[in-house]
Amino acid sequence: MIEVENLTKHYGHHTAVDGLTFTADAGEIVGLLGPNGAGKTTTMRMLTGFMPPTSGSARIAGFDIFTDSLEVRKRVGYLPERVPLYPDMTVKGYVTFWAELRGAKQPRQQAERALEMVNLSDRRNTLVRNLSKGMRQRLGLAQALVHDPQVVILDEPTIGIDPQQVIEVRERVRALRQQHTVLFSTHILSEAEQICDRVVIINKGKIVAQGAPNALRQQLQHGVNLYVQISGANSATAGRLLSDLRGVQSVEAQGDGFIVRARQGADVRGDIAQRVVQAGYTLLEMRPVAMTLEEIFLDIVGKGQAS
Amino acid sequence: MTGTWTIFRREVGQYFAQPTAYLVAFGMLLLTGLYFNADLAFSVTERMVNPAVIPEFLSFILVFFAPLLTMRLLAEETREGTLELLLTAPVSDTPIVVGKFLGAWFYYTVLLALTFVYQFIVMQVTNADLGHSLCAYIGIWLYGGATLAVGLLFSALTENQVVAAFLAMATLLFLWLGDLAGQIVANLDLARLIRELTLGGHFSSSFAVGIVRAEDIAYYAGMIAIMLFISIRVVESKRWR
Ligand SMILES: Nc1ncnc2c1ncn2[C@@H]1O[C@H](COP(=O)(O)OP(=O)(O)OP(=O)(O)O)[C@@H](O)[C@H]1O
Ligand SMILES: [Mg+2]
Repeated sequence: MIEVENLTKHYGHHTAVDGLTFTADAGEIVGLLGPNGAGKTTTMRMLTGFMPPTSGSARIAGFDIFTDSLEVRKRVGYLPERVPLYPDMTVKGYVTFWAELRGAKQPRQQAERALEMVNLSDRRNTLVRNLSKGMRQRLGLAQALVHDPQVVILDEPTIGIDPQQVIEVRERVRALRQQHTVLFSTHILSEAEQICDRVVIINKGKIVAQGAPNALRQQLQHGVNLYVQISGANSATAGRLLSDLRGVQSVEAQGDGFIVRARQGADVRGDIAQRVVQAGYTLLEMRPVAMTLEEIFLDIVGKGQAS
Repeated sequence: MTGTWTIFRREVGQYFAQPTAYLVAFGMLLLTGLYFNADLAFSVTERMVNPAVIPEFLSFILVFFAPLLTMRLLAEETREGTLELLLTAPVSDTPIVVGKFLGAWFYYTVLLALTFVYQFIVMQVTNADLGHSLCAYIGIWLYGGATLAVGLLFSALTENQVVAAFLAMATLLFLWLGDLAGQIVANLDLARLIRELTLGGHFSSSFAVGIVRAEDIAYYAGMIAIMLFISIRVVESKRWR
C-alpha cells in the first residue's frame, strides 16, 4: 500500500531524510520511530504530497507521490504534528469542510460518523477554540478519517495529552487496522511496540532497523542480560568480582543486585555461580532479563551518533 | 477548479464569524455615512449632489480597509499550520487562492451593497442621476476587487498579518498617490503613462464621471488576474521550502 524507495530530502545543505526504503502492506500499522530531528515529519510531508522529495520515489495505493499527487492525496488522511485547526469554526463545520474538500460523497453524514468515531458527537456545535487539548487531538484524528481514506498518516498523535487520552488515542489508532493502512510516527518506543505491526527505526534520516517489534528485539538483542544478587560482599567488591569474569561485557548496579551483560554468544552463568561461591559469598538470585526495546533503541541510536 | 466553492464558502463564513471583519464593516459604513452626510449638507445650498460621492470616497479609504480584509487570508493559514493540510487536500493550489479571493470580494460586495442605501436617500431629496451612480458603483466594485487582490498577494508573502496589512497599505497608497502624481507631471506622455498604471487613473475620470470603458474594466480584471497568478505561485513555492 505504501512503497517508499530511496526517499531523500535536503534542506539546503542539510540532509533531513537520507535514502529511506520501506513498505507498508494493506491493513498494517507501521510505526516510524526516531528521536527528535530524525526526519519523521519530513518523510510524512513528502508522502502526503505537501512537499516534493529531492530524490527517490514513493507510491501510495499504486500512485506515485510526485507524478500522481492528486490521486495520492485523495487516498490519504493526514494528521500533522501540530494539529491544524480553525478556531472560529464549529466542530461539525470543521470536519464537514475537510470532507467536502476531499470530495466525500456525503460530507455531512461522514462528518457525523467521524465525530462519533472519536467521541466528539456531543460537541458538534462547540467552537473549535473552546475544545481542550485532548479533544483537539481527537478532532484532528476525525479530520484525517472523515473521507474514509485507504491510508492514514499520523504524525505523533499522542504528543502533549494526558495519559488517559493517550490510551484512548492509541486504542483508536489500533482500531483502524484492517480497514486502513496506518503510518504512525512516535519517539516513544513502548507506544510503537504496543500499536504497530512493524516498526521502522530511523535516526538522522537513515533507517537503522526495521521489523516486527518482537523480531527486532531478538535480532538486536546481542548477548543476554542476567540479574544477579549476591550476599556477603559489599557492592564494590561484588561488582569487581563479576566484571572480572571473561565473557562479561558490562556490569550495572540495579536495586540490591546487578545487571550483568554478557558478550554475544557467551554463556557466563556457570562462571558466575562458580566464582561467587569460590570467593566465599552466597548467590541469592540469578535470572535472565529481556532487554527492553527502549534499551535496544538507545543502543542503536547511540551507535549512529558515535559513527 | 474543484474545491473553489468549498474554500469560498468557508471564507465567507469566517468573515461573518470574526470581529475584525465586523470592525471593518463598521468603520467603512461609519466613515462613508459621515462623509455622505457632510457632502449632502454642503450641497444643499451650493451645488448639485454628486452621484458618485460614496464610490469616490471609497476609492481612497479602500487603501486602508482592503488590506484589513485580506491580511488574514493566507498569512493565518501559514502561521497556524492549516496550510499544510490544505496543500495535502486533493485540490490544486489555484482553487485555494481563487476561493479565498472570491470570499473576500463577496464580503466586500455585501458592504458595498449596504452603502447603496445612501443612493436611495439621495433620490428622495433630489432627482439624482441613478445611471451615473450605478456606473460609479460598478467601477468601485472592480476597483475594490483589485485592491483585495493586492492585499491577498501580501498575505501570501508573509505569515505575519500585521506585516501583510502594512505592506499592502503602502503599495495601495503608492498606487493611489500615483494618480495624483500623474496630474502634476508636466510631461503629458509621462503623466498619461503614470495614470494608466494606477488604480485611481482608471476610476476617477471614467467610472466616477459616469463612463464605463472596456479598457478600464480590462485594467482591473488584468490587475486581479496578475495578483492572483503571483499569489498562486507564492503558495506553490511554500512547498519547496
Ligand atoms: N523547513 C525546514 N527547513 C530546514 N530544515 C528543516 C525543516 N524542517 C525540518 N528541518 C530539519 O530536518 C531535520 C528533520 O526534521 P523533522 O521535523 O523531519 O524531524 P522529526 O523526526 O519529525 O523530529 P521531531 O520528533 O522533533 O518532530 C531536522 O534536523 C530539522 O531541523
Ligand atoms: Mg516531527
